[in-house]
Amino acid sequence: MNGSAHVGDQNAPRVRIRSLDKTNVDFVLSNTSLSVANSLRRVMIAEVPTMAIDLVEFYENTTVLADEYIAHRLGLIPLVSHTVDKFKYTRDCTCAEYCKECSVEFTLHIKCTESGTRTVYSSELISSNKDVVPVLETEDDRGAILVKMRKGQELNVHCIAKKGVAKEHSKWSPCAAVAFEYDPHNNLRHLDYWYEKSIKDEWPLSKNALEEQERDPSAPFDYKAEPTTFYFNVETIGCLDPQEVVTKATRVLQEKLGGLQLALDEDQAPDAAANVDDGEPWV
Amino acid sequence: MTSSGFRTLERQNAAVNPGQEPEYPQMQNMTAPHIESFNSIWEPAGARTPALIDVAMELLGKHTVFDGKGNIDSRLGNKITYWISDVRLDHPSLSARETKSSNRLMYPTECRQRGISYRGRLTGVLHYQVNDNPVITDERNFGQVPVMLRSNRCNLQNMGPAQLIKHHEEAEEIGGYFIVNGNEKVIRLLIAQRRNHVLAIQRPSYGNRGPGFTPYAAQIRCVRRDQTSQTLTLHYLTTGNLLLRFSIRKQEYLVPVSLLLRALVGASDKEIFEAIVGSDTENIFLRDRVELLLRSSKQYSVYTREQALAYLGDKFRVVMYASEEMSNANIGRLLIDRLIMVHLDEYRDKFNMLAHMVRKLYAVISGECQEDNPDAQQMQEAYLPGHIYLGIIKEKIEDFLLNIRTEVGKDVRNGKVDLYNTNYLNRLFARVSVDVGHKTQYFLATGNLVSRSGLDMQQVAGYTIVAEKLNYLRYLSHFRCIHRGAFFAELKTTAVRKLLPEGWGFLCPVHTPDGSPCGLLNHLAHKCKLTTVVEETDDVEKTLIRLGIEPGIPGPAQKDAHLLTVQLDGRVVGYCSHKVAAKVAETLRILKLQTLKARIEAKGAGRGKNSLAESPVLNIPHNMEIGFVPPSHGGQLPGLYLFTTPARFIRPVTHLATKLEDHVGSFEQVYMEIACLDEDMRPGITTHQEVLPTHILSEVANFTPFCDFNQSPRNMYQCQMGKQTMGTPMQSFPYRTDNKLYRLQTGQTPICRPRIYDDYGVDGYPNGANAVVAVISYTGYDMEDAMILNKSAHERGFGYGSIYKTEYIDLGKFRKSGDPITTHFGIGRDMMFDESVIDHIDTDGLPLIGVRLEDGDPLYTVVDDVRGRTKVHKYKGETGYVETVRLLSTGPDDELQMVAITFRIPRSPIIGDKFSSRHGQKGVCSQKFPAVDMPFTETGMQPDVIINPHAFPSRMTIGMFVESIAAKAGSLHGVCQDSTPFQFDETNTAADYFGEQLRKAGYNYHGNEPMYSGVTGKEMRADIYIGIVYYQRLRHMVSDKYQVRTTGPINPLTQQPIKGRKRGGGIRLGEMERDALIAHGAAYFLQDRLMNCSDYSLAYVCKCCGSVLAPIAVPATSHVVDLSRPGTKEAATNKPMFAGLSTSEARAIMTSVGASMSRGKGPLDLVCRLCQNADGITMVALPFVFRYLATELMSMNMKVTLDVK
Repeated sequence: MNGSAHVGDQNAPRVRIRSLDKTNVDFVLSNTSLSVANSLRRVMIAEVPTMAIDLVEFYENTTVLADEYIAHRLGLIPLVSHTVDKFKYTRDCTCAEYCKECSVEFTLHIKCTESGTRTVYSSELISSNKDVVPVLETEDDRGAILVKMRKGQELNVHCIAKKGVAKEHSKWSPCAAVAFEYDPHNNLRHLDYWYEKSIKDEWPLSKNALEEQERDPSAPFDYKAEPTTFYFNVETIGCLDPQEVVTKATRVLQEKLGGLQLALDEDQAPDAAANVDDGEPWV
Repeated sequence: MTSSGFRTLERQNAAVNPGQEPEYPQMQNMTAPHIESFNSIWEPAGARTPALIDVAMELLGKHTVFDGKGNIDSRLGNKITYWISDVRLDHPSLSARETKSSNRLMYPTECRQRGISYRGRLTGVLHYQVNDNPVITDERNFGQVPVMLRSNRCNLQNMGPAQLIKHHEEAEEIGGYFIVNGNEKVIRLLIAQRRNHVLAIQRPSYGNRGPGFTPYAAQIRCVRRDQTSQTLTLHYLTTGNLLLRFSIRKQEYLVPVSLLLRALVGASDKEIFEAIVGSDTENIFLRDRVELLLRSSKQYSVYTREQALAYLGDKFRVVMYASEEMSNANIGRLLIDRLIMVHLDEYRDKFNMLAHMVRKLYAVISGECQEDNPDAQQMQEAYLPGHIYLGIIKEKIEDFLLNIRTEVGKDVRNGKVDLYNTNYLNRLFARVSVDVGHKTQYFLATGNLVSRSGLDMQQVAGYTIVAEKLNYLRYLSHFRCIHRGAFFAELKTTAVRKLLPEGWGFLCPVHTPDGSPCGLLNHLAHKCKLTTVVEETDDVEKTLIRLGIEPGIPGPAQKDAHLLTVQLDGRVVGYCSHKVAAKVAETLRILKLQTLKARIEAKGAGRGKNSLAESPVLNIPHNMEIGFVPPSHGGQLPGLYLFTTPARFIRPVTHLATKLEDHVGSFEQVYMEIACLDEDMRPGITTHQEVLPTHILSEVANFTPFCDFNQSPRNMYQCQMGKQTMGTPMQSFPYRTDNKLYRLQTGQTPICRPRIYDDYGVDGYPNGANAVVAVISYTGYDMEDAMILNKSAHERGFGYGSIYKTEYIDLGKFRKSGDPITTHFGIGRDMMFDESVIDHIDTDGLPLIGVRLEDGDPLYTVVDDVRGRTKVHKYKGETGYVETVRLLSTGPDDELQMVAITFRIPRSPIIGDKFSSRHGQKGVCSQKFPAVDMPFTETGMQPDVIINPHAFPSRMTIGMFVESIAAKAGSLHGVCQDSTPFQFDETNTAADYFGEQLRKAGYNYHGNEPMYSGVTGKEMRADIYIGIVYYQRLRHMVSDKYQVRTTGPINPLTQQPIKGRKRGGGIRLGEMERDALIAHGAAYFLQDRLMNCSDYSLAYVCKCCGSVLAPIAVPATSHVVDLSRPGTKEAATNKPMFAGLSTSEARAIMTSVGASMSRGKGPLDLVCRLCQNADGITMVALPFVFRYLATELMSMNMKVTLDVK
């Protein structure tokens, strides 16, 4: 984070990574407010751009699955999107339909000629860009099953992957789920637990409870207390590394805030605003 | 508790490598009553019973006609005798015109796709004999009769999954239906009165039949060996007389019973008296009645048997269609053979049964015993589809025989008859033709029974239903539904609809629709069977005698006044005391189970080598009912009633002493001690136990998970909704041409499912998807049973479905047969380069496969030879894709004139679509909420569906809660959960069982979780109940229902909007809606609805005379009138124009100018025809229909005057 706060600043938000692997990052975000933490969560889910197949042209489809159904399956295939920043959104691109600047092309042409079942995997998609390929977990992983074919059936498609965000369609989401928790001991009493006999028996404590102290039940309740520590676990679907998701999300958040700042600044200077906003009051 | 497991790999393997044996034998049993009854028509129906069609032909008997060319010796002349035998139904095969195919068999898939019927040739042998000359035989063709699928006349009969798939059927095709014109038709099961058993009835309507009639009657439905029936009703008259009522060809006849008793065995008064009174000689009431009966019979002056027979024969000669040579007495015998107690052959047996009937009627009248309830299952059986079908075939063949007789009769009158001329005979038989095939096909296609006799049935329509393949549950329940009869649907009283305890285990208490058919349309419990075999009863009879039953009927010599009758299939075998009867009943049951045991052992030992005939064990049919009615005070008439006949309800229960599976019928069940659960057992009393408590439920009711936790109406709703679900109706989609098919593309198997799921192979036909459901009131979009859908869940495919529609295009439809073909599919030169056409249509004139079609796009093109042009036909309807184009043959070597095009219309869930859980909790999608705004749990789970907690308190669908936590625990542990009902009790609760599983997975015991608002990230005040529930998408979708209109088509007469969604009409704002708007003072809105958006029109009205009709337009005499300003000065000057003329002359001028007006388009003047000036003409806004009203009133000589200010 290279915002106004400096590393080591006592009041700056702090991130402590508890574990990190290929698909998960578990971290504690502290010294910040709930709104910041939730914004981060929302951005990670919905606004981190990735690549996903968006257009599918069918030349031949004699499989048992319908065209739109296969297209839907293709769209949901996670694509490695480390280089997503190099692409433009198609709507911002100068090209008419799609081009190398804003998209990656895939082809898939498979005909089943042998008897028995031919399974088509996502790894069989041929990409026009070596950096944007279907996500594979291991070397010998063949990816997700697209369709199963019998003798004589054929599938010939041309796909165009574009950059996008999950706000538009969930296929662009880099996350499977974002675990989010604060106040594991319910010290702030945001929640009124329902229980039948005993809270302790019926409500298991989360593992995050080890990080915090339970409030002394005899101490007076601090009704002004605010949550400051947030426990995150970001699980990705493989198109971006988990740490990448978090950093990209902060970048997006910063950009959004920057945009807001800019708009506010312009609003402060009346003469400049008069020209810009004229005629479009809803912008 | 054991969980059944998903069996994913096993199922996968079975799907990839289909075997020879059905994977789900229980599934095949569902259609057993249909198939077995159909099979019994054509092949032996039991060990010693010939095929029913042969029995039927034997019962039709020989017909005789005379040519009237007689002499003094034999007045009647030559006679010809003819009869039919050896009626056979062939397997469906290709028509003889089809020459190219080497395999002559026809398979159902071809019939479905071509929209034709699946039928085989029916033939019979006609025998005839002139006088005593040799018998001549002639094979007759009775036409093409539809064949039931998977029956012994179907080409799929013994196929396993592998072959069925090869023939484009379902892997587990269950059959049981017919294919008529491409539709799948099922003959409904109907409730019938129990056969061969006397029912005492008290019905007020009987009292209104005529003078002297009382409400009391006894009724017996006698069933012949060929399963056709004849009902006899014995009416009690105030005079003490008893009249037996029966119907011949829908005509009712009443015969004094004393006459029949005498005719049957020539009984004297004493004999009749003794037969009825029996040993109960002290019964004064009874003696008095019989005395009255005998006294009343004196008026007929009939004393001997021959006299009685002759009396009957004389009266019935005409209606019996008997041969002219027969004597009256013989006709009397014929009457008795054909109509009286037709389930019995021997006259003595008929006599005994009739006497029993009289005795039972008297017993009910005296209050000695109670009348029977014909609405109770105990007194019911079923009309089986095969038996109804046979009845129709038999009657049509009988019609053929009778028509021959009529034809001969005609020729006799014309003097053309010549029985010794072979040519004449050939022409005679050729002239009379009955196309049985056509008649049966009509029956199946319409469900209407066209019959002279009415087949002893109470309805004429509604026998067949279309087996809709909406989804799997809907489809299979067609075969299991059983209707009470159309007659009862109109009945005001609701008594017939009651759920009676007698039906326990036979009819499902849950699975009946709500609304008008409630309680009339029931479904069989899933283990309930219908017998179809005619059993051998020799051993039963022998055993009865051996066990101490006295044969015959008791006489006055017997000391015991309370001897019980012992009847086997409606035949009086003998009598005994009730103590003996109890003993006999018990022994018979043990013997019956011994037979079963021996049979099982024989099967295990030597596979039929040890046939039962050799073994010393008696052959007591396993399906036999042993109905011992013990003596009671005013209960049912005591007796020992045994039944072995077909069409009875039978169900398996465990016999406690032997641990064998005993089959129990609905008659005997009432008097048996069957425990349900272990705790219901009463030592020394209980003899049987239910196999499983779920056996009382139908298949569909069984699929409701944890239904024992729900309020019962909710389970009924689920049975309805399960059948309306958009699911997977079939696996053979590419080979189907159904009008409309729904398909859920992203179906899943439920995590929570009952054990029975595997038995019926439901996994092959998924009906919904597992959804993460949070019960929370969030944002208000989940009010009033609405549900919020997660937008991301929707985008990942939740509830995604399609509709498949098929349209048949037949170019030959507008061409007369024999005319040359003038229209061809194809594109002519005139269209060949038209891009808008070429984009969608191939050179053959048919659409490209996979092409996207919108409303108005070209669908197919036809080249018309006559006009030499290509006609483009357009696609109408929703946007969709072309799935299949089928080229259909209309005959061998014909040019292509018929195609079937299947469209696939995608139906992704949208706001307004209906969903439901499996607990009668339906809701409409009200919003697709972005995932980030959805609430989430600490693990980051977001619900797919949000429903409101208010859906629960009043509906009490606890089963849904249980399913929610069970499936949640199941998904956490990766197991499939057993949701069979009746598995938990007070000490071992479901909440604890699944709560423990949740705790082990680290979750809250009760299934609650803290949740955070997706918008603010703040933890919510309350913990939320969140789990996994299987959700069904219902077929009711807004796309099929929305109706919107601003302007559009109008009715030409009134100019008001037309109605109907399809035509773009409006929705009526009726009287009551109008009242509401007035009450609210919404005047402007009212004006808008009733006027502006309806038939707003501007009209001229004359202020002077107040008429809207009088102002007319006349061509402007240019110097006089200015059109734009009616009533101006110039117009006034026009006045003298008509002044001097009479009215008729003025009219003549006006009509002539009217004619010229329409020709030339000159400016027009407005003139009031009545005032003959234009002074008062002004324009007002009126509803157009007011003008129409004024015109109509004018035609009635009434004037409407508007007071315009």
